[in-house]
Amino acid sequence: MDRDRTQASTAERIRAGAAESTPVLQVEAIEKSFHRGVPPRRRRIEVLKGASLEVRRGELVGLVGENGSGKSTLMKIVVGLLERDRGTVERDGKLGYCPQIPLLWEKLTVEEHFELFARAYELAAREAQPAAERLLEELQFKRYRGYRIEELSGGTRQKLNLALALMHEPDLLLLDEPYSGFDWETYLRFWEMSERRRDQGMGILIVSHFLSERERLDRIYELLDGRCRET
Amino acid sequence: MSGDVSGIALSGSDFLREHLRARLTLILLIAIPALFVIASASVLGEFAAALGGSVAGDSASALGAGWAAAFLAGALGFFQVSSSREADRRLALAGMGAGRVAAARISASIVLGLLISVVAFLTLLLTAGVDHPAHAFAAIVIFALIYIGIGTLVGSFVSGGLEGSLTVAFIFLIDAFSGPGMSGSGGVAQLMPTRKAADVLIDAGAGQGSPSGDWVAIGLTTIAALLLAATAFWLSARPRSA
Repeated sequence: MDRDRTQASTAERIRAGAAESTPVLQVEAIEKSFHRGVPPRRRRIEVLKGASLEVRRGELVGLVGENGSGKSTLMKIVVGLLERDRGTVERDGKLGYCPQIPLLWEKLTVEEHFELFARAYELAAREAQPAAERLLEELQFKRYRGYRIEELSGGTRQKLNLALALMHEPDLLLLDEPYSGFDWETYLRFWEMSERRRDQGMGILIVSHFLSERERLDRIYELLDGRCRET
Repeated sequence: MSGDVSGIALSGSDFLREHLRARLTLILLIAIPALFVIASASVLGEFAAALGGSVAGDSASALGAGWAAAFLAGALGFFQVSSSREADRRLALAGMGAGRVAAARISASIVLGLLISVVAFLTLLLTAGVDHPAHAFAAIVIFALIYIGIGTLVGSFVSGGLEGSLTVAFIFLIDAFSGPGMSGSGGVAQLMPTRKAADVLIDAGAGQGSPSGDWVAIGLTTIAALLLAATAFWLSARPRSA
């Protein structure tokens, strides 16, 4: 009980400190339109009309909004998967990104994915192996390490998708609805993992369309009519 | 530098494994060359006669082996770009960089092209025999490498699997039926990238060597095709933010 209270007060202290800590992500006045159809029925769809947000070290920030509000578009722009029309994105430190749909290679195994990303993150074998082991343990999918992606369920693919984003313990973690397909226990474990990393100083931005997660987040931005409003 | 090279080689072997683990790909790798080489001895000769060309016999079989390698390499080149575009971009963003992802992809493509060529060449050797094996093998490899360039180029513009494979097949058909020994050597045939390689294969099938001028032209076309493929892989994997 005392230990819990000590941990909670430590977390609160870190969270309070987050307000003064340096930003790991600053997004300013992002604009993005898509063109659809062919002339003369070609039309322009404005998705983002000056979206701005900020994430600091040791913060768990939510980005909520209705379906089609532009959350994933904004996330892809922040990561660098999509070009923006206007605005600026400034990131600091190592980036971890967990896309909404697992971006994996169907014929490669779980273990081979860890090896591939370890090379991308430039992790030495002595760092990569314990990191993969820890995540396999934490997300409880160790027994699937030799399985190919095509043999995995949606939930296990999503676990790997998340694990790959966390492997190098980034300074900024961007999660686009990372728990779709998770069962309840994994969903709770996911939040524990996120909160633990937040308390260790990681800046986390999580896209969600559930406002019910409000109490788990330090701050929430609502994406409405192409702009972010802090709620 | 050596770390870069070994990293690219390891990632390339992952990409290669990804293709070779598909059972249907392996079956087609054997079946398509067999079909092309065995059928081409008679069918290709008849087609050529109908189109006003003259290729027949062992030359037709040799040409068939080249076309088998081209068809397979074009399709695999297309799917290397189109099927993993988003995942490759994620890997590049994670720190591998578009250049290293492209280098790994191109190395995997070249190995795949060589494997395809070996199978097509062995099929040719076993079913028809060839008097000029070194020239025939080199020309088959060139067919495969040129079509890796064509396949990846299509993959960088067309994302749908059906549309992309139909586009590769369309280019392949124009190339095959307008090539040397088929509908003739003028017009469109002059513009097709495999023209010189087809000349070499027809000659090799007939037991003749080819002039060095042909090999220079073939070499330059192959380098251009591989540069095109590398550019297509790089464009596909590069981050989108400034």
